[in-house]
Amino acid sequence: MKAVVLAAGEGTRLRPLTVSRPKVMLRVGDKPIMQYAIDALREVGVRDIIIVVGYQKERIQTFFEDGERFGVNISYVVQRKQLGTGHALLCAREHLDSDFLVVPGDNILDGAMIAQLLDHRSEVTVLATESAQPRKYGVLELDGDRVVRIIEKPPRRISNLISTGIYYFERRFLELLEREVGAGRFELSLAVQTAIDEGFKVRGQLTKGLWLDVVFPWDLLSLNARVLTDGPSRQAGTVESGVTLVGPVSIGEGSVLRSGTYIKGPVSIGAGCEIGPNVVVYPTTSIGDNVTISPFSEVRNSLVMDNVSIGGHSYVSHSIIDEGTTIQSHFVTAAEPKLLLIENELIQIDKIGTIVGESTEIGHRVVVDAGRTIGAYCRVEAGVRIIKDVPDSARVV
Amino acid sequence: MCGIVGYTGNRQALGLLIEGLKRLEYRGYDSAGVVVLGEGLNLQKAKGMISELEKRLQPAEGTTGLAHTRWATHGRPSDENAHPFLDCTGRMAMVHNGIVENFQDLRERLVAKGHRFASDTDTETIVHLIESHYRGDLVAAVRKACKELVGTYAIAVLHADHPGTLVAARFENPLVVGVSAEGEALLASDVTPLLPYTNDFTFLEDGDVVELKGGAFRITDLAGRRVERPTHHVDWSVEDAQKGGFEHFMLKEIFEQPHAILQSMMGRISDEALEAIAPKNVDKVKIVACGTSYHASLIGKYALEAIAGLDTTVEMSSEYRYSNLARESALVIAVTQSGETIDTISALREAKRRGTRTVAISNVVGSTITREAHDTFYTRAGPEIGVAATKTFTTQLVALYLLAFALGRRQGSLGAEELRRLREELRKLPAKVQQVLNSHEAIKAAAARLKDVRDVYFIGRNINYPAALEGALKLKEISYIHAEGYPAGELKHGPIALLDAHTPVVAIVVDDAVRSKMISNIGEVSARDAPVYAVGYEDDLELAKVVDVLLPIPRTDPLFSPVVAVVALQLLAYYVALMRGCSIDKPRNLAKSVTVE
Repeated sequence: MKAVVLAAGEGTRLRPLTVSRPKVMLRVGDKPIMQYAIDALREVGVRDIIIVVGYQKERIQTFFEDGERFGVNISYVVQRKQLGTGHALLCAREHLDSDFLVVPGDNILDGAMIAQLLDHRSEVTVLATESAQPRKYGVLELDGDRVVRIIEKPPRRISNLISTGIYYFERRFLELLEREVGAGRFELSLAVQTAIDEGFKVRGQLTKGLWLDVVFPWDLLSLNARVLTDGPSRQAGTVESGVTLVGPVSIGEGSVLRSGTYIKGPVSIGAGCEIGPNVVVYPTTSIGDNVTISPFSEVRNSLVMDNVSIGGHSYVSHSIIDEGTTIQSHFVTAAEPKLLLIENELIQIDKIGTIVGESTEIGHRVVVDAGRTIGAYCRVEAGVRIIKDVPDSARVV
Repeated sequence: MCGIVGYTGNRQALGLLIEGLKRLEYRGYDSAGVVVLGEGLNLQKAKGMISELEKRLQPAEGTTGLAHTRWATHGRPSDENAHPFLDCTGRMAMVHNGIVENFQDLRERLVAKGHRFASDTDTETIVHLIESHYRGDLVAAVRKACKELVGTYAIAVLHADHPGTLVAARFENPLVVGVSAEGEALLASDVTPLLPYTNDFTFLEDGDVVELKGGAFRITDLAGRRVERPTHHVDWSVEDAQKGGFEHFMLKEIFEQPHAILQSMMGRISDEALEAIAPKNVDKVKIVACGTSYHASLIGKYALEAIAGLDTTVEMSSEYRYSNLARESALVIAVTQSGETIDTISALREAKRRGTRTVAISNVVGSTITREAHDTFYTRAGPEIGVAATKTFTTQLVALYLLAFALGRRQGSLGAEELRRLREELRKLPAKVQQVLNSHEAIKAAAARLKDVRDVYFIGRNINYPAALEGALKLKEISYIHAEGYPAGELKHGPIALLDAHTPVVAIVVDDAVRSKMISNIGEVSARDAPVYAVGYEDDLELAKVVDVLLPIPRTDPLFSPVVAVVALQLLAYYVALMRGCSIDKPRNLAKSVTVE
């Protein structure tokens, strides 16, 4: 069976982290979000995968290539304009000659869920899960295991069951989809509602599997903590004497951990990093490739992307530092509990540091107040205290 | 250059051989052919692309065969001149890569003996030569023929009397053999056709003759003595050589550069690692290379002089042997992506003959040059299929920078603190190159304005002068627009006479000591009405004011600016060629690795 993975969107709510890459390529744990879907499909024997790409497609293609490295065969189709998920699926139509699966590329999911879906096939089957915030998703109204209604982002609470966006379809659904998209109804859930109306057997299957969604940048930290609990996946690189490793710590090829460094897992460190001497890394932290962390710095519960350099005597806590960003010494993220206003909704976060966008340069002795974001391509001069959000490409003096 | 694939095993050979040929397509060719040994010999060949041959292909039974792509040297591209060639009996077939220098003599002798020739190629003499020595032992006949050949060759033959057997020999042209777990034996000009079968390869050396049969191979020298050659494990996968959704290999390889650059510096950048690669007792350095590698070497010269304080000269490999010196530099660095560039290999041999220490910078594990140089520094860029070099160029630069660091420390001319600063800058290159890639839309827009011009001049100074040469080479080789690179200061000593409103100039301007001079040169150019395109820092407002189009690159240390500048120029060349409808991955008349002189 073939699977279509939807990966064309940017994920604008995750800016500045998506200025140069789509949401599906954000790293959680030690791999990009979309790799969870690819790995799950391979686990249950689905090898032929069509990825619908669009926004910054090159980032996806250079990573996944033809899929050989991941044990699958990948073809790509391009959705030139990101109109909606139904339209995205239709872009893959030429590749679909029989029944197929649809999997969102921007959720974390596991193979057990896909197996469950394959075991409960109907003309259309949708995997459902329970959500504390159903009104952000497509909400399902079920009668037994039959889907009666699917309503996208309902203003009032109908049920706590939402669509995971993971579907099984018989091929003839594509004809219906074509009509829907032709009529300007670009969302997949709209077409599924039409299918219900036209008498398709649409089954809703509740899953207990691991399904996680990233809506806002801060979600990445809790997701990272959820997935990074497994044991170390690799132990390469050089660990100098006098380094203490506690718990699961994964170290990539060519990385050097200098003497006096203390790392408490779960922590994942990529390839070609130089950490220490005397650096402390606490759970749950994920560090990308080619990262330098200079002496006497502490990093905890953070995501540090590729090619980042963190100067000495820095304190990085509950924070996300995006790729290629350079930070001079004595950088402090003043992490503390915070009530954040996000899309007109107050969200209480237990502890929150900062988000720094890609290729930003931060001078010595910069302090960032809790919950503040510094955009991509910024320059922050030495000695500044950041008390409000900094937009992309800004210069802060 | 020409490509050879041979298969003997238990499956039908024809389809496998064509697949193998396609993996060699990138080497450049103008005709293709295949021979399968079944009940008899089934020979098919055609001028043009492999797809031409495929269209005309008739089914052929047999589990042993040879295939070939030809890049014309003697005799024009045609059906007749395509390989394989048959002997007079039609029972033996052969393919060849290389040049036979004494073929006129051999041919006259063989014609006198009654051999009939069907083509005007040098290659056909070899098959008749082997025939003249054949008394039932194919390996012995090949060996005798090889002894009479003057020139360079990789040859492979099969004979109807020897089902399931291939015999091959090498002299100065690459040939690699491998066996699969299923008991198949294969040979090819490089590892890519063999990747679906195995990751362990044996590279033949000059004078080796190999017999493949029964899922194994046996190597002997020209005297018939058994020789053992080491097995190399190559970590490439089949998928590494596929396009992964990109329209062209070249574009894929351009976009792979952040990763490739990271790979090339991984684990080599610490003090300990640099100490380990630093050659000792070096007073002067000479670098030899061809083509794009030559441009990387020129940048390496500036880097070695600025970072390590070492006098450095660069010579084109093909000219190196003609230099007469009282004393050679203490270190000769040979730069070749494939490790099979015959001119560079010859130069390296000459350097060794002159008694100097040699270091090879190459991308291919186990390639000829890596076996002959005293030390090898691998660029780890992964396979590059596009004929226009991209990621192998930028990773060669990383290799040269790292060597400059290492030599600078060894010489004591590079302070620990300065090294720390440069190292931090070098580490940022993957992210900076990614930034250039992110602005590909802006570069595409510039390409749209450039696509219909006839001539373009590229100018730069100091370390960005070779970057200008490389920018011009990229443009001319894939878009066929006439392009020349010049040191900006040389402009008014000649080329300025050619400038007018229809002749754009591409200038590379960064924030270094020659910046104001570059701005003056741009003024001279603008005064002749030539449109000016500049590769420069994205926030350089002063520059933006004096040029027509700015291709933005991020700030970096001027020493590393050629890396980001060239990536922008690669994209510019790519998009221009794309808009002109050119055959980007296989430009006309060009070959990926030039294995003939």
